[in-house]
Amino acid sequence: MRRNFYSFAGLLLLVLPSWADQKDTPPASVPFELLKTKHIAVKIMVNGKGPYRVIFDTGAPVLLLNNKIAKESGVLDKNAKPPLFSLFGAAGEAKIKTLEIGNLKATDVPTIVMDHPTLELISKLLGPIEGIVGFPFFARYKMTLDYQAQRLTFVPNGYDPPDVMKTIMDTVMAMAGDKPRPPKVLTPAAQWGVLLDKDDKDLDEGVTIQDVLPGSAAAQAGLQAGDRLLTLDGHWTDSLADAYQAAGHIKPDSSAPVLIRRTGREMELTVKPQSGS
Amino acid sequence: MTAYNDEIGLRSLYFNLPVGLSMKFFLTIVSLGLTTSLLADDGKKSEATTFNVPYRLTATQHVLVRAKINGKGPFNFILDTGAPALFVSTAVGKKLGLTADKSGWATLDRFALEGGAVVIKATARIEDPFQLEGMNGLGLAGAHLDGIIGYNVLARFRIEFDFTKDKLAFTALDYDPPPPQGLGTGAGAAGGLDTMAAVMKFIGGFLGQKAEPEIILPGFFGLQLSEAKDGVQVKSVLAKSPAAMAGLQPGDRITHLQRKKLASAADFRRQASKLPAGTAAQLTIVSHEKTSEVTVQLAKGF
Repeated sequence: MRRNFYSFAGLLLLVLPSWADQKDTPPASVPFELLKTKHIAVKIMVNGKGPYRVIFDTGAPVLLLNNKIAKESGVLDKNAKPPLFSLFGAAGEAKIKTLEIGNLKATDVPTIVMDHPTLELISKLLGPIEGIVGFPFFARYKMTLDYQAQRLTFVPNGYDPPDVMKTIMDTVMAMAGDKPRPPKVLTPAAQWGVLLDKDDKDLDEGVTIQDVLPGSAAAQAGLQAGDRLLTLDGHWTDSLADAYQAAGHIKPDSSAPVLIRRTGREMELTVKPQSGS
Repeated sequence: MTAYNDEIGLRSLYFNLPVGLSMKFFLTIVSLGLTTSLLADDGKKSEATTFNVPYRLTATQHVLVRAKINGKGPFNFILDTGAPALFVSTAVGKKLGLTADKSGWATLDRFALEGGAVVIKATARIEDPFQLEGMNGLGLAGAHLDGIIGYNVLARFRIEFDFTKDKLAFTALDYDPPPPQGLGTGAGAAGGLDTMAAVMKFIGGFLGQKAEPEIILPGFFGLQLSEAKDGVQVKSVLAKSPAAMAGLQPGDRITHLQRKKLASAADFRRQASKLPAGTAAQLTIVSHEKTSEVTVQLAKGF
């Protein structure tokens, strides 16, 4: 595999593409530029063209390229015209055949093409920013973000990001129908043997374990009536709904840490719930 | 966004709406936020450990985590490197009595993420970024959003995102991130984006949706079941549980729940999950070849 080299000249110039297949690649380490505005900027290659400077954004559920680079890289046809009614020159959805960041190479990444007014503004002030890289790319990796080291690392994790357009459409369609929205049922995944309570006036953290059934998994773990359940598997349990939801993740015969408060002292116990309702 | 005049809040939810009821959604969000104000220094470190922070992905593919402010909450936040700082909604600010200084910044004594990561003396913007208003208006996140966690909190940790796992790993860094600097442009919010939130709120009202659906907490029986030829068989009954109080015993066969015939244990679980705690559940059981009706008073718990 070819070694990346980086050159820093006030701005960060990135990284030559590597030919390695991403599945066999060791953790890819990508330095980033921290803009004055504290946005993360990285350089990407789109269909072998570039590098282009884009913003890396965990809060962006889409990738976005501006019309200029979309055309330059062949993501959009050079002669493509934006649709008749188009906000910010939005040309809709398209696919990037190959997207490279450092020595990572992702294929078939969905993107949106539009000229984002904010990016244009940042570009004017801080140099060209041609797009945004978000969820559909980084979700494919175990990704670490370190501002102190100004570095991102990526290891493919096999995760197949859902299509954000589809999930939003589904949500909106479900809401737009005549049917009332279905209630959310929080079903615990296993049987613990705890009876819980919390009344409306009780605003303190946690819920009260009113009873622990003899012989149950909770009893075996040492839980007692009167204990205040503070967290279950690292999830806060400040309401019955939260406790139920947290218990929904714990399958029968798996172990879950619980943090309780008993006579003023906090302690952690491990419960191994069994199957049952 | 008056107090925030030379700040450009971007995180734009773009929609290409129309087309009757079957609205076609177009772009979602991009989240960037710029700030031109100089930020105050942010305060102290958390201990150098790794915290496993529960998260979930919203329908809009945002990473949603919960946090408590000064011990109150939890509140729902989106993790966003596109935001320069921590944003807390004005509603939460009001509820907690958080006061912002002249330039719109407040200091939170303790900002704690679920899973244990804590930032002491975190500075935050108390305002409503329009993207949140938009998402809340449409109920897109499936939960009410109370704010955005951006750079000034994120930079205090090395953060591992892995959506094949159910938690994010936050490792506290011994690092005081330098505050965001302004661009000094004096420009307002990037043109047109603010109106998006208004449109989305309007549409949300039109759809008549609340951000949060009704929640059902299924009641607790205290039963372990196995399959039987006709219905399901009681394998064991937890002592003192609602099922035990109703007189159910191992070996009993349950043929109906709420007068509906049961085909399997999975069928029982499915039917039972619709019965909230407090329900008097009707079971038809066959015990020692005698059929009877029993009522189980379902408890809160699991």
